[in-house]
Amino acid sequence: MASVRKSGGDNLLVRYIILGSWAMVCLVPILWFLTIGFRPRTEIIVPEPIYWPTWSLDAWRLLVSDWPIALYLRNSVLAVAGSVLIDLVLAIPAAFALARYEFKGREDIGFYILSTRMMAPAIVAVPIFFLFKNIGLLDSVWALMLIYAAINLSLVTWIIRSYMLDIPKELEDAARTDGADDLTILWEIMIPACLPGIITAAVIAAIFAINEFLFTLLIASTSKAYTMSVALANFTGGSDGVIYNAIALVSFIAFAPILILVILIQKHLSRGLTMGAVKG
Amino acid sequence: MASILLKNVVKSFGTFVGVQDMNLDVVDEEFLVLLGPSGCGKTTTMRMIAGLEHPTEGEIRIGDALMNDIDARDRDVAMVFQGYALYPNMSIYENIRFPLRMRQVPKAKHDDLIRRAAEMVELGPFLDRKPGALSGGQRQRAALARAIVRQPQVFLMDEPLSNLDAKLRASMRVQIKHMQRELKVTTVYVTHDQIEAMTLADRIVIMNKGVIQQIGTPDDIYSNPANTFVAGFIGSPPMNLIAGTAQSGTFSSAGVRVPCPANLSGNITLGIRPEDCQIGGDNLQGQVYGVEPTGDITYLTVRTANKNIEIKAGREFRAPIDSAISVGFDTSRLYFFGEDGSRVGVN
Repeated sequence: MASVRKSGGDNLLVRYIILGSWAMVCLVPILWFLTIGFRPRTEIIVPEPIYWPTWSLDAWRLLVSDWPIALYLRNSVLAVAGSVLIDLVLAIPAAFALARYEFKGREDIGFYILSTRMMAPAIVAVPIFFLFKNIGLLDSVWALMLIYAAINLSLVTWIIRSYMLDIPKELEDAARTDGADDLTILWEIMIPACLPGIITAAVIAAIFAINEFLFTLLIASTSKAYTMSVALANFTGGSDGVIYNAIALVSFIAFAPILILVILIQKHLSRGLTMGAVKG
Repeated sequence: MASILLKNVVKSFGTFVGVQDMNLDVVDEEFLVLLGPSGCGKTTTMRMIAGLEHPTEGEIRIGDALMNDIDARDRDVAMVFQGYALYPNMSIYENIRFPLRMRQVPKAKHDDLIRRAAEMVELGPFLDRKPGALSGGQRQRAALARAIVRQPQVFLMDEPLSNLDAKLRASMRVQIKHMQRELKVTTVYVTHDQIEAMTLADRIVIMNKGVIQQIGTPDDIYSNPANTFVAGFIGSPPMNLIAGTAQSGTFSSAGVRVPCPANLSGNITLGIRPEDCQIGGDNLQGQVYGVEPTGDITYLTVRTANKNIEIKAGREFRAPIDSAISVGFDTSRLYFFGEDGSRVGVN
C-alpha cells in the first residue's frame, strides 16, 4: 500500500477554513447586493456603511406599482425559451449529421458553423437592424427570439455534436441491424443517450440569451419588447433620482434564474464549455 | 434460416485492403467461426454480411438474394456486439422489444416473444432493470435475447464474450452453442480466441491480413494445418515450428534430427505439437529452460541452439533448470512446411 496521507482533523479544518473564506469573498458582494434590495432608500447612500439593515419592502412595492416588471420578465422568458427551442430543433439534426454522416467537407462545415460565433456582434448589428426593419419585426419579442436563436445556434450545435461523438457507434449499428431507420436512431437512441449534453447546451444558450444586450437594445426600441437585461440598464428611477434599492432588487431578479440554472447543471457545465476538445 | 455466400468479396479502405478476394459459403444452420489476430479482416467481413459496411467488389448473398444494395435494416440479420450495445435509456424489456417494434411485429405477440427470449437466456427476473443495473454477463445475455427474439435468418456475433471474465466466458460459451443448436439459425461468430473457435464452431475460417488461410472443422484445422500461420495460431501452446533442412529422408536442425519424407529437400520448417513430444528419446537434445506445473499438466520449455521448444510433460515431471534433456517426437505426427509456409508433407 502507498503511504496513507494524513487527512486527520487539523488538516481538514485548515482546508475548510481556507475554502470557506474564499467562498465568503465570492459570495459577500452578492449577499450585500441582495440586502440593498431589501433596505429602505435612506439606508443606502450613507457616510458610514450600515451592516445590519432595517428590512424593508419599499423597493419591491415600487417595482410592482410603477414598473412593468411582469412584462419584462415575460418578454425575457418568451424570447429565451423560444430561442432555445428553435436552437434545439435545428441543432440536434445538424449535430447528428455532423457527428455521424460521412460527407465531403464535414469537418469544414462543422468549423464554419462554429466560426460564426467568433464574429464580433457589432459587425452585423446594422444589417440586422435593417433586416428586421424591412420585415416589420422591430420592437418585437419574436425578433429577439430569432436573434437569440441565431446567436447561439452554432454553440448549441457544436456542444451536442461533441456529446454525440462520444456515443459508441455500436449502439447505432445495433439499432440499424435491429431494423431502425435514421430518424428512429436519432429520436430513440441518440437523443436519449446524449440528453445531458442537450440539457447543458440548452442551459448555456439560455444563459447567453438572458444576458444578451446589444441586439436587444437595437431591436427593442420601446419598453414593449424590453427584456430584463435592457430594462435594467434603462432603469434609474427617472425624476426620483437613482433608486439603488430597486435596481439591486431587479438585478437580483434577473440574476436568480441564471444562478439556479448553473447550480442545476454545474456538473456538466465545464464539459459543455470545452465543446468536445477533450473526447472522453 | 439461410445460407450465406461471399463471392470474390474485396473491401478496401483507401489504399488499405481489409479483405482480399474472399470466397466463403456458410451452409444453412451452420455455426461458422471467423478466427484470426486483430486486424485480420474478420470483423470487416462480418460487418459486410450485416450490411454495416459495403464491399468494394464482389457479391454477398443471404439465402438466394443478392444483398449488396440492401440496407442493414432490411437484411433480417441480428447482431451481437462486443460492447453489448444495449440502449442505455431503455429497460431490458424495451431493449429486447426494440427489434420487434422496428419490424412491425404485431403488438399482441410482443410480450410472449420477449418473455420466451428472456427465459432462454435466464434473464426473466431482470426485465424491468436498465442495462446500467446489470452485470457484464447479464448484459451480454440481454444482448443475446435481443438478437434471438425476432428469429432472424442469420446471427452475427462479434467477439461477444471478450469483455467477460474467464469463468463467465466458459459458461456463456456453452449457452451460446446450446442456443444455436436449439434455434437452428445460421451463425457467423467472430473471435480471436482459439478456444472459443474450437469449442463452438462447426467450421472455422482462419484469416490473416485479409486473406483466408484455411477453412475446416476444428479437428481438421488442428490435425491438418494448411500452413505455418495456422499451425502457429491454433493450439495452446501452439505448434513448435523449427527451421532446418531436409536431405535424403532426414530433417535436421541444431539439436534436432527426425526422419522426413524422402522427396523433401532444402529449407524446411518442422512442426510438432507440444503434446506429441515425450521426455526421453533421440529426436531433440537441449537444456531445460523452464518448468511450469499447472496441476493437471506440466509445461516444459527446452532450449536448443536455435529456438525454445514447448512440451507438455506429465503432471509430476520436474527437472532443474539448465539440466540436459533429450526429447522424443511422435514421428507419425510430424508436419513439414516449405519455404513459403505451406504444408509439404505428412510423415
